[in-house]
Amino acid sequence: MKWLTAALLLPLAALLIYVSADLPDRGDPDAPANLHLSPELVEVTERDIEIPNIVTAVLADVRGYDTLGETLVVFTAGLAVLLVLMRGARPRDSGRSNER
Amino acid sequence: MTEQHDSIILNFVVRVLLVPFIFVFGVYVLVHGEASPGGGFQAGAIVAAGLVLARLTTGSEHGERRISTRVLLWLASAGIGIYVLAGIVPLLAGVNFLDYAALPVEWFNAVAGHERTNRAMGIFIVEVGIFIGVFSVLVILYDHLTERFTDD
Repeated sequence: MKWLTAALLLPLAALLIYVSADLPDRGDPDAPANLHLSPELVEVTERDIEIPNIVTAVLADVRGYDTLGETLVVFTAGLAVLLVLMRGARPRDSGRSNER
Repeated sequence: MTEQHDSIILNFVVRVLLVPFIFVFGVYVLVHGEASPGGGFQAGAIVAAGLVLARLTTGSEHGERRISTRVLLWLASAGIGIYVLAGIVPLLAGVNFLDYAALPVEWFNAVAGHERTNRAMGIFIVEVGIFIGVFSVLVILYDHLTERFTDD
């Protein structure tokens, strides 16, 4: 089984290493990832929002709906942990019920 | 872990030197988040870390009397509420959900004497909401995870 896994993974690793030679350089302005959406986001931040940090502008404004969901995830996770940990605690006093 | 420590050095260093600095730094990360790395999530984590540090030294009993879980739950909900409100107010003005350009915050420019776009103000309001929510949730988690240790 171990050899079968190796026999499957080694060609995959070889393929990925071979392909990685064709990836664009880091920060290459002509890379496909930098041609389609990034210039637009930089322009919108400079023209409409006027704050220096493009990351914050994208996080809170352009993708505001996504960030709202993220905050709700954090909130829901906290509520879920609270519900699990408070199981068996007496109602009415949500703090530490036992004196120690 | 949840009892009060009586060391005066520990108390002084943590409560006088460290915790106020951590709080100020957290608020700095929050308000400077639109010019440098930072924002609501990071600031919430930093301020919650400061409060957890204070609770580690002063003891949970003493600490929780100051801000109880009930208050923290209200705070967390209020944080989400600020965010949702920043989304609904533009909706009432007739534009898209979370379109901060329609937020009625132009008066702030006159008060501060500093020209800012509505969308920048909207980002800041939303970051404050995230900050309050993340901070409260993290402190709630600490309070109730340490509570279990006292049961054993």
